[in-house]
Amino acid sequence: MLSIDALKALGANTEEGLTRCMGKEEFYFKLIRMGLEDGNYGRLEQTLGEKDLEGAFEAAHALKGVAGNLSLTPLYEALSEITERLRAREDADYPALLQDVKTQRDAFAALCED
Amino acid sequence: MLKSHDRFYSEDGKRLVLIVEDEPVNRALLSVYLEDEYDVLEAEDGVQALEIIRENQSLLSLVILDLMMPKMSGQEVLEIMQGSDELRRIPVIVLTSDEDAEVPSLQQGAADFIKKPLEKPAVVQARIRRIIELSEDTYIIQNTERDDLTGLLNKEFFYRYSELFKLHHPSWDMDALVMDVNNFHLINEIQGRAFGDRILKQIGERIMSRVPGTGGVAGRSHADTFLLYLPSGTDYEELRDMLMEDLTNDLSNPRVHLRLGVYRETDKNLPMERCFDRAKMAADLIRNNYDRGISLYDDNLHEQDLKNQKLINDMQKAIDEKQFLVYYQPKYDITGEKPVLKSAEALIRWKHPEMGMISPGIFIPLFEKNGLIQRLDRYVWKEAAEQMRRWREKFGVTVPVSVNVSRIDMYAADFVPFLKALMKENEIKPEDYFLEITESAYTENSVQLIQTVEELRGYGFHIEMDDFGSGYSSLNMLAEMPIDVLKLDMRFIRNLHNSDRNTRMVELMLDIAHRLGVIAVAEGVETEEQMLDLKRMGCQRIQGYYFSGPVPPEEFERFIEEVI
Repeated sequence: MLSIDALKALGANTEEGLTRCMGKEEFYFKLIRMGLEDGNYGRLEQTLGEKDLEGAFEAAHALKGVAGNLSLTPLYEALSEITERLRAREDADYPALLQDVKTQRDAFAALCED
Repeated sequence: MLKSHDRFYSEDGKRLVLIVEDEPVNRALLSVYLEDEYDVLEAEDGVQALEIIRENQSLLSLVILDLMMPKMSGQEVLEIMQGSDELRRIPVIVLTSDEDAEVPSLQQGAADFIKKPLEKPAVVQARIRRIIELSEDTYIIQNTERDDLTGLLNKEFFYRYSELFKLHHPSWDMDALVMDVNNFHLINEIQGRAFGDRILKQIGERIMSRVPGTGGVAGRSHADTFLLYLPSGTDYEELRDMLMEDLTNDLSNPRVHLRLGVYRETDKNLPMERCFDRAKMAADLIRNNYDRGISLYDDNLHEQDLKNQKLINDMQKAIDEKQFLVYYQPKYDITGEKPVLKSAEALIRWKHPEMGMISPGIFIPLFEKNGLIQRLDRYVWKEAAEQMRRWREKFGVTVPVSVNVSRIDMYAADFVPFLKALMKENEIKPEDYFLEITESAYTENSVQLIQTVEELRGYGFHIEMDDFGSGYSSLNMLAEMPIDVLKLDMRFIRNLHNSDRNTRMVELMLDIAHRLGVIAVAEGVETEEQMLDLKRMGCQRIQGYYFSGPVPPEEFERFIEEVI
């Protein structure tokens, strides 16, 4: 169940997220669902698979902006990490970084499921 | 006439704001912050954004623009807006999560930026409100509503008031009229500017007294061009006769001949500027024609206009699908016994899937008008650079290529870096990459432009002044201009044999080139006779059908094969 307490338990800064949504809880939840369904997650995985670091950077960067606006802190941090590596086109362990992102996203997505 | 407003907003009293963001979540958030106070439009990429901006250009109060987006980035949108006289007025706030992007965007003309993750709604709202107020205040300070000379509305305000008039009278059929004085520049030249001004002033006054009481909007766009937005049903023959009679009486001058282009029952879905473009198309048909005073926007013109719009709409797709082809026309050195291939000019062609080959003479002016020319130019620059690399790889020689640079290109913040990167990517020496800048761009004599050209030359690029002789460069200016090559306007070459005057002009231009120590290129050379004449007069290089027209790169290779 998506609830403020459950989000908090996963480390989201719900106070900030709610303020950003003008205090409207339903609206906040709606945006979280929307944000976790973002097509850029698929694109990130695909572009990383193809070693297209530029495409991956664009996708990660966009996702980071969304997670930040939703104050899903652990997801935001994982996305920031991979975004910065990609920005510098670093030779990093992208599969591991992607896994971090997916783990965080899946944790939040699990809340939305029932 | 409409009464004055000091702020712009639509019928329901709200200003119009466009949010451009590819992420639905971010769009939804901003939209919620804005929806109480503004009418909000949304776009999810740069291409869509530009379409919406163009459609709403006279009503938009603000664009909130994400920088990183698919299809067309925010930077590109910003650049195109800055490059367009009509769109530059609209303030842009950029959305960014990167501190580094802020300064360049502000330099590019953004009014402010908003950081992601977003700050508290109240902070974001205040920031937006402040920028709108600031830009409206500046706008009003910089733009007095009325034209000093005639007392009519100036162009910008004319369009805005006309939009408002339309909103207030949604059921009225309205006509768009463009009126001007045939050969007004001759009146100015022969009878003096003061007299010309008197005519304009008189026209302004008479428009106010003669236009029917049903109302409407009147303005002066520039020089002798007047704009009228009037309810349909007015007899324009009669109106024109009355105005001309008034002028004859007022000025005791029978020679003021008014010309009217009329677009009747304007399409209400069309932006106001576009309605007047149509009226102007009609007016242009009777330029210098003293027998006809009124020209209507008819089915023929409509067909042409739709075609033009289709071309504008198709452009992005055409770039994506590589419908634009770059052809190459050889330039020969004629100083030796036998002409020798020296370089090529890259020229664009459009192979439209439905309309076939379209001449650049048709589509370039359209794209110059709406700012898209920058994208097209860059496309050609890139293609040409890549072609040079391919030829080098295939033949082991470098064929220098010249490309065209539009005035607007040079105002883009990343103009020079773009070209430098292109040289680097394709391992081309800038000395082998020629930039053709038309003479008329120089006549603006803008400090920034000259500096940009100096910078390019400093880096090694060769600068050619295109269409020399068509503009108004004074000798004084020429001496100061940073150029390496003068390209004579082809009209002089075409008429080389028909008139002594042209021959003398060409001799004079070649002499100027010689004295400035720059190379002279003649284009449009079609016959051997012309070629020999030019050679005798001291012209060093020649381009034209005498050697070859512009050809596809594969075909051009036979010219390269001749020299290796």
